[in-house]
Amino acid sequence: MELDVVKAELVLPTHLSFKQVQMYEKYPKGQSRGRHWKHLKQILQAENYQNFPPDEPTYVNIESPPSMHPCKKICDITGYEAPYYDPRTNLRYANADVFKLVRSLPNEYVQRYLALRNAAVVLK
Amino acid sequence: MLLVPSCWTLGERVTVSLSLSLSLSQSLRALARARILYKERNPNSPIQKKKKMPFISKIERQSDYHLFPSTTPIVIDNGASYFRIGWAGEAEPRVIFRNIVQRPRHKATGETVTIVGDHDPALLRYFDCTRSGPRSAFDSNVVYQFEIMEYILDFAFDRLGANGSRIDHPVLITECVCNPVQSRSKMAELLFETYGVPSVAFGVDAAFSYKYNQQLGVCAKDGLALCPGFTTTHVIPFIDGEPVYKGSCRTNIGGYHITDYLKQLLSLKYPQHMARFTWEKVEDLKMEHCYIAQDYFSEVRLFQKGDKEAEDKTRCWQLPWIPPPTEEPPSEEEIARKAAIKERQGQRLREMAEAKRSSRINELENELHGLEFLLQQLEHVEEHNIPSFLSETGYVSKQEIESAVQKVTQSLRKAKGEPKGDQAEAEEKTDPATNERFPLINIPDNMLTPEQLKEKRRQLFLKTTSEGRQRAKQKRFESELERERKNQQDEEKRLENPELYLEQLRAKYKDLSEKVEQRKRLKTNGNHTNGNNFSGGVGRGERLNAAQRERMRLLTTAAFDRGKGEDTFGARDEDWQLYKLMSKDNDDDDEGLDQDEAEMARLSSRLQEIDPTFVPKLEIVTSQPIEVPRLRPLTKEDFQILLGVERFRCPEILFRPNWIAVDQAGLDEMTGISIRRLSPVGQEVEERLTNSIFITGGSCLFPGMSKRLVAGIRMIRPCGSPIRVVKASDPVLDAWRGAAAYATAPQFLTQTFSRTDYYEKGEDWLRRYQLRYTL
Repeated sequence: MELDVVKAELVLPTHLSFKQVQMYEKYPKGQSRGRHWKHLKQILQAENYQNFPPDEPTYVNIESPPSMHPCKKICDITGYEAPYYDPRTNLRYANADVFKLVRSLPNEYVQRYLALRNAAVVLK
Repeated sequence: MLLVPSCWTLGERVTVSLSLSLSLSQSLRALARARILYKERNPNSPIQKKKKMPFISKIERQSDYHLFPSTTPIVIDNGASYFRIGWAGEAEPRVIFRNIVQRPRHKATGETVTIVGDHDPALLRYFDCTRSGPRSAFDSNVVYQFEIMEYILDFAFDRLGANGSRIDHPVLITECVCNPVQSRSKMAELLFETYGVPSVAFGVDAAFSYKYNQQLGVCAKDGLALCPGFTTTHVIPFIDGEPVYKGSCRTNIGGYHITDYLKQLLSLKYPQHMARFTWEKVEDLKMEHCYIAQDYFSEVRLFQKGDKEAEDKTRCWQLPWIPPPTEEPPSEEEIARKAAIKERQGQRLREMAEAKRSSRINELENELHGLEFLLQQLEHVEEHNIPSFLSETGYVSKQEIESAVQKVTQSLRKAKGEPKGDQAEAEEKTDPATNERFPLINIPDNMLTPEQLKEKRRQLFLKTTSEGRQRAKQKRFESELERERKNQQDEEKRLENPELYLEQLRAKYKDLSEKVEQRKRLKTNGNHTNGNNFSGGVGRGERLNAAQRERMRLLTTAAFDRGKGEDTFGARDEDWQLYKLMSKDNDDDDEGLDQDEAEMARLSSRLQEIDPTFVPKLEIVTSQPIEVPRLRPLTKEDFQILLGVERFRCPEILFRPNWIAVDQAGLDEMTGISIRRLSPVGQEVEERLTNSIFITGGSCLFPGMSKRLVAGIRMIRPCGSPIRVVKASDPVLDAWRGAAAYATAPQFLTQTFSRTDYYEKGEDWLRRYQLRYTL
């Protein structure tokens, strides 16, 4: 290990005195580790929230509902207010100059702008 | 007082010690930051010039672990962005670092090591970080990866100075609101089993922050806590000092999303500088420059109009850029000097040529003299003595000498009278030469022998080819003259009416370029669709150009002409000529295109000469949103990044998550939802709640947040109800401070649960376990 790395104590030491079970014992080398962690969705599913009274606050309960306010649309590229949208690319634009820009964009950028809004075309 | 670890000696490299004694993150940012120019002309604007950087990592190893008795709790604020750990009762956490883990491979040894937190990137060059990005233990705000959590806790306890055989202190750790019991139990298990902690308590960070500020008098006993965090935003009502989770509300938008949005917007706007927009850099930008507009759309209209105010609000980031060394236009003396040098060089060359020529002339003359002398001598010598006489000189016979004389005189003449007679001589030479070379042609056939006939045929062939060559030369010459004449005409036309000429040229250029582009487009369309199928198999509906149509026609006639049942296509040789026709069609098309392109190139070069504002149209294919005409040299402006609308567009998503396609309510709406969710409490309580709206959490540091909230909440509350928004005294650290203050209370230990409790009482009890915040 290089000198300055050691000096900066960058790396986590493998053996720590205050631990009852060390990492290398718990996760021996060579075994595939960590693939079996449940993601949040799986955790929530396993919680079985439907078995409990509905007015008790749970992780899922307290989530916000969709917004009641009408969604104001902004131009995808500039951020100005955008009353129009381009049917070919599905991007929203504010005025004619922006429209020129929109039509001149290569497909990659169009999809990336749409991905900001989660409106990109996803091919499965 | 810093106890320097014994492994250091004095005189070690200053950089390392400096970075550790300040704080790694600060130095990191100072090193990595480019100069940021402020075009801020309005000194009274609410946006300060230099904002204090709120997040600093502190990872020095603490040395006073042994000084704390076993009863002192360790307080951990386990947040999605930063991990803070310290002792109860203190004002500041001891160790702070980013809650991420990297597992790169060491380049030299090949072993996989673990690095926790953010570190000086310079040190990371010893590691191969390509396959190991920074990983977080969190998914949204819930811990799910306990292996990573273990690494983090290892690091944290290690830096706190732990060195016993177990962590012998009670631990108070924060979690998210309504943490799923599986996450909670795994965390408890980790702490109990692996670290030997005697007792554990879980609390919500927003609640601790609220309690702390309540004690400070910032907010009242009843109020609403708004906590925009790193991955989520919560609104929790507090009644009688206790959080009422039934009325709480969570939206999955946080600082992470804002930074991500800003990063993507900048990358799309400035694709050529995309490499500069790293996550850390964009986060810095966000913290320094983003603000929340009071009313988004009126703000945006300012920018749309291009007001001076808008320009004031635009910040400009100048990337480091070295201008190419400009060549000054050479001054008078420079030009004179260069001309003199050239003159001198020319002179020298000419002198050298002269000298060579004169020396050659001398040589030839000498030779001539010698030969003539020899001839004279020969005449005096008798016949039979000639061979012996000549053998000395090297010539065999008199004819040879004479021919040599002739050659020498010729070359002498050439050397002397160089430019003038040359061409004429050459041409003269060819004509008699041809006539000499082909003596047999004019003699009719019947008089020649067979060999002579063959000879004649050869000479005929040679003559025709040479004649052909001459004709070609003549034609070329003529076409040259023609072109010269046209150019001259052009020039005259230009001189008499430059504008019109320019217009015509431009129009011609445009037409040509359109034609070329169209051809190209058709071709690429055709080629794309033909890419997968063999040529000729085009689907329905694609526009075919002439060649492709011809090919289709040929194929169909060839294929279907035979009649049903019998396909005798390849039987005859002529059938295969079909393919020749098809491929020829293709070639023709290309040729046409090349011609047009050549014409276009000529026109464009012409236009460039005479028209300073002309910019040639480049090849279509890879165009970028910002068309950089590459012929223009890169200027300082190309390396500037402007943050205008993005400054307030990005934090706006806290209030309008729809812009990120998160279909949930924004911050101001959430307060309304939260109040509604509380079971009907009566107007009075509601008023008390809105009277003390408390905002905390890292993402509440945007300027303009309070005003915007007031305006937003006023829209949804009945007219006239009191609305007061207060900010936490230190939104970032208050959660930890609140937790530390809570842990010092004597009744704290009644709120914890121990290992035996955990195993006896089971999961159901753990689910219902909630901390009581008022002790």
